[in-house]
Amino acid sequence: MDLEIRKRELAKEFYPMISKTTRGSKIWIGFLIAIILVGLVAFFLQIVKGHEITGMRDNVVWGIYIINFIFFVCLSYSGAFIAGILHFFKSPWKNSVSRIVEIITILSIMIGPIFILLCIGRLDRLHYLFIYSRIQSPIAWDVLAILTDLIGCLLYLFLTFIPDFAILRDNCENAPKWRRKLYKYLAIGYQDTKSQRDRLYKITKTMSVMIVAMAIITYTVLAWIFSLTLQPGWNSTIFAPYFIVAGIYSGIGVIIIAMFLIRKYYKLEHYIRKAHFIGAGIILLVMSLLYGYFTFSEYFARWFSHSTANHFLLDTLFGRYFWEFIFANYIGVLVPIVILFVKKFRTIKSITFAAVIAVLGLWLNRYLIVVPTLETPYIPIQDTRPEFIHYSSTWIEWALSFAGIAAFVLFFILLMKLIPIIPMSGIIDNEREHKRKQKEVTQNNRLW
Amino acid sequence: MVTKLFQYFVIILFFGFMSNNSSFAQKIDVKNYKMLYKFNTVKQYDNSRFFEVSFVANNKKDRKIKFPVYGADIKFINVVNDEEFLLGTVKTNKEGYARLILSENQTYYTDAEGYINFIARFESTEALKSIEKELAIKDVFLELDLIEIDSIKKVTLNAYTLDSLKTKIPLEEADVIFSVGGFISNLPIKETSIEDGKFEFEFPDDIPGDVEGNIDVFVSIEDHDDYGNVIQKKKVAWGTFQKLGKQPTLTLWSHYAPIWMYVVLTILLVGVWSNYIYSMINLFRIKKEGKILELESEN
Repeated sequence: MDLEIRKRELAKEFYPMISKTTRGSKIWIGFLIAIILVGLVAFFLQIVKGHEITGMRDNVVWGIYIINFIFFVCLSYSGAFIAGILHFFKSPWKNSVSRIVEIITILSIMIGPIFILLCIGRLDRLHYLFIYSRIQSPIAWDVLAILTDLIGCLLYLFLTFIPDFAILRDNCENAPKWRRKLYKYLAIGYQDTKSQRDRLYKITKTMSVMIVAMAIITYTVLAWIFSLTLQPGWNSTIFAPYFIVAGIYSGIGVIIIAMFLIRKYYKLEHYIRKAHFIGAGIILLVMSLLYGYFTFSEYFARWFSHSTANHFLLDTLFGRYFWEFIFANYIGVLVPIVILFVKKFRTIKSITFAAVIAVLGLWLNRYLIVVPTLETPYIPIQDTRPEFIHYSSTWIEWALSFAGIAAFVLFFILLMKLIPIIPMSGIIDNEREHKRKQKEVTQNNRLW
Repeated sequence: MVTKLFQYFVIILFFGFMSNNSSFAQKIDVKNYKMLYKFNTVKQYDNSRFFEVSFVANNKKDRKIKFPVYGADIKFINVVNDEEFLLGTVKTNKEGYARLILSENQTYYTDAEGYINFIARFESTEALKSIEKELAIKDVFLELDLIEIDSIKKVTLNAYTLDSLKTKIPLEEADVIFSVGGFISNLPIKETSIEDGKFEFEFPDDIPGDVEGNIDVFVSIEDHDDYGNVIQKKKVAWGTFQKLGKQPTLTLWSHYAPIWMYVVLTILLVGVWSNYIYSMINLFRIKKEGKILELESEN
């Protein structure tokens, strides 16, 4: 009975957070919608005029769209990985960060693939990918893996949301009718009985394992799209684990940034504490070391290979892309290491700063993986216009990129308007578990 | 302190000069060198004649130190009864070689015994003494016949010299080598000694040729005291074209995917999707139980 009271208390605490919309948040949402609208205009122009208005040409056929695609898919993958691990091992931090991670996972897997569609010159032939699909092609594996991963992530997210929908359904009498109806529909009749709880726990646990596996498979396949070609800079046996490590590195970074912003905006200092930042920071430190190691191995092997194509690529990286290379592979690795290694520097702000540097470095790293390789093909490019050899992104590409980021943030905010960012059911579960243990101790004492 | 710095500066300067090769002039004293002068001639398969002189200065103390004599004028001469006929003059190249090729139509004078006498001469200069080498060889003709009779491939050699009346005189006691052309060097297939100028043998049927089955068959006499070096060559389509073993195919680009790929993908997809279906079924059960509870509470 007292758990029901506790549920009511929690709903009372969190419901205002999701129902109230301040003037500031309205302006912010309006701003995000404006960015998305600019992106839609850019998309319309791209459809009408074709890829001519982007920086992509015959040689450099991939630009910042594919980089955004990799970046978002890697966010999703690392989110799924971390969410699965947190849930499976019943981590003590689970309640504070799991929902942030889950939302990042699902939004990035929904937004990421849109960028790959933007790379396609003839969207009207998109269905050919399914009609004439070749099972031998890594592109076909990627489509299969991403679709399966998307559905798995949606299902997993829904499973973790159900108990909270049920709490909101039962304890928000003052909520608008549409909201109550929506909660009733989404709660699918969940009454938190023991059998329902056990059943939900069982399938959520299985799904947590499944999404970790799916995330690894999806991101491996994505890495194979590059590494199974013979292009200099891509053809590498360590590309899949390198992508996975880099994915977790940037994923942790984005989670830290999201934790910082949510904590500040919603004043959740009580739930998202410094200890959570330090824990996430330590993981970021470990991942930065691993990422640095993989990056060094990758470039060292290329430098040592004596292959002309690889040397040409390295010359391009250390010439035309010198500062980008330094930022991505030196600053993006060393700054987080220095900040996170020294205990004194481990404050919430500095950890967030390290995360921002890591995320920017990772995005640039993706850029350096894709563009310079396409600019240095095996067959020399002769007698062609400079814009065909060198890639330079246009405002259309940037507008669509920012629209993607804006959509990600907007949907994040909208989801937080639907359900509390701190899972109430998680708090209830913890308290229930605590009581069960107390009861056991009392019974044991009586027996003695 | 300043003195120390000066010392370091001088030491660095000293080692700097030491490491710079161009700061030391190298002068070769000819007295310390022995001149190696070699002369050779080969009658080639198109009956042209190739002359070669190798001219190298070798250090007497350290025999590993060798310097090719560059730009030396070498005269190639045909000598008959003390009368000299200049065949040509060639300068040695950077490796110390002077090479001359004379066509089949070149006439050589022979002595009474039928020998052609050649001299390769270097005439003295301010730095070097004159050197010359002589060779006396008979002009040998190698007739190579490659005939296939009843699927038996036969190689027949007829080796002879010509006397003053152009009568064929069979070669006596000469070692000959039969070989086939290879990518880097020739592959010997028969080494024998001929006594009456003739030799015949069956050509092996397992020698690979080029894509059209062609093989270059060579016969040669090497460094013979009387005949020198002679080579003859003929092309014949007796090679067995060695088809390459089964080409490794990139299976993923084949028309059909390999079976294992279908199996692995099916297992993966069935595994994952069956779990999704299982989760959905459980969600429906939760919903069903919820409905029952709702009805009970309403009643």
